[in-house]
Order: sequence, then structure tokens, then C-alpha cells
Amino acid sequence: MNRLSQAALTLVAALSVSQALAATRGGQLVYGRYADSLFLDPVLNDANLDIWILTNLYDTLLQPTADGKGVQPGLASRYVASSDGKTLTLTLRPGLKFADGSALTGADVKWSLDRARKPDAGAWSSSLASIDTVTVSGNTVTLKLKRPDPTLPAALATFNAGIMPQKLFTAAPGKNDAEKAKAFAEKPIGSGPFVLSEWKRGSYMVLKRNPYYWKKGDDGKALPYLDSVRFEIIPDDNTRILKLQAGELQGAEFIPLSRVAELKRNAALDMELFPSTKVNSILMNNRPTLKNGTDNPLSDVRVRQALNYATNKDALIQVVTYGTGKPMTSYMSSTTPLFDSSQKGFPYDLAKAKSLLAASKYKGGFEVSVLATSGSADDLALLTALQQMWGAIGVRLKIEQVDAATKTARYRANDFQMRTAAWTNDINDPSQITSYYALFDNIESVHTGFKSAEIDKLFAQSQQELSRITRASQYRRIQSVYAAAAPIIYLYETPYPVALSKKVNGFVQIPLGNNIFASTWLTK
Amino acid sequence: MNTYVLKRLVQIIPTFLAVMLLVFLLVRLLPGDPASAVLGDRATAEIVERTNRELGLDRPLPVQFGLFVQRLLQGDLGDSISLKVPVLRLIAERLPVTLFLSVYAAVLGVLLAVPLAVLAAVRRNTWVDALIRGVFQVGLSLPVFYVALQLLTLLGARLGWFPIGGYGEGFTGHLYHLFLPALTLGLNLAAVLVRTLRNSVIEVLTAEYVSFARAKGLRGRVIMTRHVLRNALIATVTLLGLNIGGLIGGAVITESVFAIPGVGRLMVDAIFGRDYPVIQGLTLTFAVVVSLVFLVTDLIHSRLDPRVELN
Repeated sequence: MNRLSQAALTLVAALSVSQALAATRGGQLVYGRYADSLFLDPVLNDANLDIWILTNLYDTLLQPTADGKGVQPGLASRYVASSDGKTLTLTLRPGLKFADGSALTGADVKWSLDRARKPDAGAWSSSLASIDTVTVSGNTVTLKLKRPDPTLPAALATFNAGIMPQKLFTAAPGKNDAEKAKAFAEKPIGSGPFVLSEWKRGSYMVLKRNPYYWKKGDDGKALPYLDSVRFEIIPDDNTRILKLQAGELQGAEFIPLSRVAELKRNAALDMELFPSTKVNSILMNNRPTLKNGTDNPLSDVRVRQALNYATNKDALIQVVTYGTGKPMTSYMSSTTPLFDSSQKGFPYDLAKAKSLLAASKYKGGFEVSVLATSGSADDLALLTALQQMWGAIGVRLKIEQVDAATKTARYRANDFQMRTAAWTNDINDPSQITSYYALFDNIESVHTGFKSAEIDKLFAQSQQELSRITRASQYRRIQSVYAAAAPIIYLYETPYPVALSKKVNGFVQIPLGNNIFASTWLTK
Repeated sequence: MNTYVLKRLVQIIPTFLAVMLLVFLLVRLLPGDPASAVLGDRATAEIVERTNRELGLDRPLPVQFGLFVQRLLQGDLGDSISLKVPVLRLIAERLPVTLFLSVYAAVLGVLLAVPLAVLAAVRRNTWVDALIRGVFQVGLSLPVFYVALQLLTLLGARLGWFPIGGYGEGFTGHLYHLFLPALTLGLNLAAVLVRTLRNSVIEVLTAEYVSFARAKGLRGRVIMTRHVLRNALIATVTLLGLNIGGLIGGAVITESVFAIPGVGRLMVDAIFGRDYPVIQGLTLTFAVVVSLVFLVTDLIHSRLDPRVELN
């Protein structure tokens, strides 16, 4: 073959690859969800079912990066912090519009942030608590802060800081913000890549492309590529999978981990395991006495460590997650910013577990009860495996199955000895999970009762620390102190299992769980 | 008859009041509260307290009940705690779906049960009778969700004859989409009906007036439709009426498997979410629906059996 024909072949190959990779516009993606959204207001609600849709309807000044580690420009094309860390200046992109074509102005930004940071506005107002004033001049938004706040860029990329149209919201019927929010959430007009066009509760929801969205695709035209996304609500896992296999859906979320291997073998599907911030653990009540007045062996740190060492995480990952999980080595997931990769966690070590227990006053073993969610096959598989593992050091595990609301009520009343638990971050920063898992003053360290003066101090410092290196070292220490106290049983991290038709391209579920459809396109 | 219907409708009121009080108290006896259920594990005590206050759940029970009754008299069932929309609207959107499914299932159940029961009765104690009874006995002992999944897999996924779940658009769309779930429920109902109807038909077939009709020289088909079936249906209609409640109960599971947006699924979600207004509203609706079904059953009963007097 001469050089010319080689070059021609290369050119043809390159063209055909670029042809294959070029996004095509149009079409509707039908996506199966396990449950419907509840209430589409970014400030007054914080259920994952809402958040993961809200981020498609309301854009934020900054956005979380797809790897979950940082932030990137959103409605604001740039942001600059002052050297003392007490002023953050953001520049809005020119010509921004809401989905109805009206202009998105600095006034909307100020109103949205002021609404979101009111102390009694939902559970998330504290994420913006460091803001003292929001001022606007043209395309420049200036946030004056009460104190330096390294978490603020991530907070501005979080769902509750979504920018809403002030005029449309305030024109909605209702006497107060809560009533207006109810009315506006029925037909929200936002700044995100999509706009709600139809919602039959419990059945389906259709999001249409927002023709005024600011972000451009690879073809230089405005995103999104899709005309619409239709969410079908299909609570039953088997039905969701059957519909996908029959081609009635192009995507289905929350595939049971037990079905992942089978769907991976299906040539018509892409079985995706998107990295998540999900950590699965068992929370222990660390208090000396339980709610019923009996002594609690779990108040002894050696007992808690012993149980951790007696937990064979690799075996559990095979049994419960069908090989899709990875062992937890910190209370936060490895996808969380400032996760310390040098953490060892608790490698399976039966001898160490036995010696730790022998050093406590419970060397003969004891009985411990755990709250499980009734009907959860995963909980049951996990706990029956743990019964055997902990039986090896003389600990008898009693499983108490209760429904989710009862479990939450007993947990909130500290009326439990152990319970199964899972966590996902909502913000690209370690402060959220740390404030819940390691700080007593928030919710008693996820109701374990764990309290550490050193962590309290380090956390307070880290919340104002502008140097990322220093903040990382603070978090390294926090993770080590936490591990030494072992207030929880470290289990495993699990991914988001999403099955997609081979025709679906460019879809991503980021570690926070947000479903990103803006750059998704369908092969024709 | 009009007086009878009016009387029966008035009698529904005390039932309604009893159900209202009972459900109001029962939902509050469930462990856990709506604020905790809606806000989840992460909410602080302060936020839970604030939410309970906003929902009026911090007030004494008699006050809460008084407010509930007061609203009800104004035709307001309150707003769903988790969905933030009026309960009446939710019921208006979802009840027709479940009623459509239940009636569809009842029709399929009867269409299956009547001919097969008659066949079993006419060919009693033959292999045909044994086969019909055997198949339905097995069907009755299988859990609804299992039958549902098998039908979905075979007729939906493998053969592609029916859509896998959903409700569809328009009357024919609903008929098409709800065929498999209605068949699932209908099979279960037919299993109950076949047994009773077969025994009734056998009983009537051996009655003297049937022998007389035969002696008169009436044709078999005429005897069967005019005399046998009409009489045998009396017990079946009563049984069908009693099983309507069961159909709505069965709809809870069927609606989940087939992704149908009816009240069954709404009720399950409301109970798990401790959504008091939705649970209360739905229970009251069920009470009214079941009472009306019983009334209609009695009216049909009286038409089928002239000996029954409506008073």
C-alpha cells in the first residue's frame, strides 16, 4: 500500500470515528426511576428523589465537577476570592435566560441566595450561613462573608443554591413563601438545561429541553442535545429491568447489585457502575447505657474495634454487593474531597479482634441487637453474614427488623444499640459528612453519641482554613482520630448501578448522585 | 326501592364516622412521626420539632381531630405531607385508575369463572372438572406478585404481546396496558368464584324445578341460562361484592409490580412515609367505595332473587 492510500485510509478512519462520536441532536430518552419526586423546590426540600432532578431544572452559579472532587463554572463564568477570604466575587455569564425566555439577572441571584440562606429555610440554609451580604452590580455578584469559608464554592454548586426567577416565584399564588413554593413547584421555570413540561404524579414526568440554556455542546449550539427526558416511575426492580430489556426504556436506575453481572453480559446494554459517595456502615450506640437502662458493651472502644476487625469486608462485598463494592477505610467515601488515602481502616484480623475483646470485660462474648429495615434483602444478607463472623469472637447478633419510619424514630430517640446505615454526600466537600458523623453538636454524631474535643477543634479550624494543604492535614487527623475511636462499623462503598441502552451516550450520574442529562444524546 | 337506597346511604354515615375516628387514632399509634419520616435520618431535632409544629402535630389529639373533622366538613382532606398537594386531588387522580383496574379484573374474573364453572358442574367428577378445579386451586395458592411477574415475563417480555407495566393513554390504551395486571387479579378472583359457582350450579341442576323444566321439554341451553345460571349467580354476586375489597387490597401489590399509578401504591407510600392526611383520606375513600359496592351488590341480589325484599 502506498503512502497516499495509507493516508487516505487514515483520513477515512478518522472521519468515521469522529462521525461515530459526534453527538446527534433530538429525541426523547425514557428513563426508569424507582420512585417519583416529591416536591420540586430547591430550598424547602432535600430528598434525593428531588435533588437528583432539581439539578436539571435549576442551575447554580458554580457546578460540581463530574469526578466529585471540585467545582467548575456554572451560571457564573468565574469566581475570585479575596486574599483574606472574606469576599467572593462572581461574574455572571452575559445573556443568561430562564426557560421562559426572560432574562436571568443579578437581582434573581441575590433573591435566590437570600431566600436559601434564611435560617428557617429548609435543612440546608446553614451551608450558606457564612454569607453576610449579597450585592449586585451589573454582571458582578459580590458575597461579603462573616468569616472565611473554604466550603462556599462547593455550597454555591449545591442544589439549594439553584437560581430561581424572582418575579415568577413572587407572582405565584400564596400568602407566604411556603405557599408560593408549593404553587411554583407545580410548574417550575428554572435556569437549568431542562424545564418541567408534564408531571403525572406517581406515573411519569417529562422534562423538555430549555432552549435558552447557556452551555454549548460540541457542535457549538446550545445544550441539551435531547429534546426531552421522560421519567417513568417503576418501583419494582424486576419490572424496571424487563422494560429496559424490552426496549421500552433507554435507562434504568438502581439496578439491584445482584443483577449487575447478568446485565453486563447483555450485549444491548451498558451496565454502568458510576462511582458514588455512598458509604454503608453500621452505626453503634457508644453510650454506657442503653435507652432501656441496660449496660452497653459497645461503650468500650476495644469492643467496637474488635467488632470492626472481626468484620470480613471482602467477604461481605462478595455476599452483599456481588463484588461491586470496595472496603471503607474512612468514614467518608474515597470519592469525597480530602479523603485520606493513607487510612487503613480495619483490615480483617480475627486474632486482633479476639485479643481486643479479651482485654475488655466482655471476653466471654455478649449479645448485641441491630435494627434492620424490614423487607431489605441487603440488610438481611449483610446481618446474617455478620452473625457468623462475629460469632467467631463470641458476639451473638440479634436482628430486629422494623419499617424505615420506625427505624428513624428509634434512631432519633437514641433507642438502638446498632443499626444499618448508608450515606451519600450532597456537596463536594468533606464538611457535610463530617458534621454528621463526627460532631456531637449536630445530631450527636449520627446518634452514636461519639464526641471528640480534638475533632471538634480541628473541624472548626477547617471550616475557616483557606489553605487546601492545611485543610487536608486537618482532615487527615480527623479521619485518624475517628478511626481510632471506631464509633461505627466500617463496611463498604458502593457505586450507583445504572443500566443504559447502547444507544445512550454522554449520560453521567456524578458521585453526589445528580443525574446529568445535559450532554446526553441518543444514537439514531 | 328509592327509600331503601336512601336509608342505606344514610347508614354509611356512622360507618364513615367510625372509620374516621379509628383511622385517625390508629395512624398516630404507629411508631414514628411524619416529620421524621419525611425529613429522614439527617434532620436535627430542631428541624423535626419545627416541622411538627408547622403541621400542627404538636397540638393535643382532640384538637387535631377537631380540626380534621372541621376541614372534612368543608370538603378538605388536607395536604399530603410529603407531596405538598391536596389529598383530594391525589385521590381524584389515582382512584379512577384503581377502580378501572378493579372493574377490569372483576370482568375478566367473571368471564373466566362463569363458563368454566358451568363446564365443571355439567361435567362434574370427570377429568374436565378435576382439571378446572385443580388449575384454579394452584392459581389461588400462588402469591399475586409471583403470578404478576410470570405473566409479565412471558406475555410481556418474551412474546411482546403486552406492554410491561404502565397505564397507557385513553380508554383503549388503559385496556391494553392494564390487561396483564387485571388478568393477574382476575385469575385470583376467578379461582374463588369457580369453586362457589360450580357448587351452586350443581345444586340448582339437581333441584326439582330444573327436572320439571326438562320434563317440559325445554332445551338444555334455555334451562341453563334462564333457570340454572340465574339462581346459581345469586351466591356468586354476593361473593363478588365481598371480594371487591380484596381486589383493591390485591391492587396494592399489582400496582407496584406493573407500575400503575393507583391508590394502592399511594397508600403503601403514605403508610411508610407516615403521611397522615393521605392515609386518612384514602381509608375514608375505601370505606365509601366498599359501602357503595355492598349496596350495589344487595340491589343486584334483589333483582336476581325476587324473594329478597329491600327493607
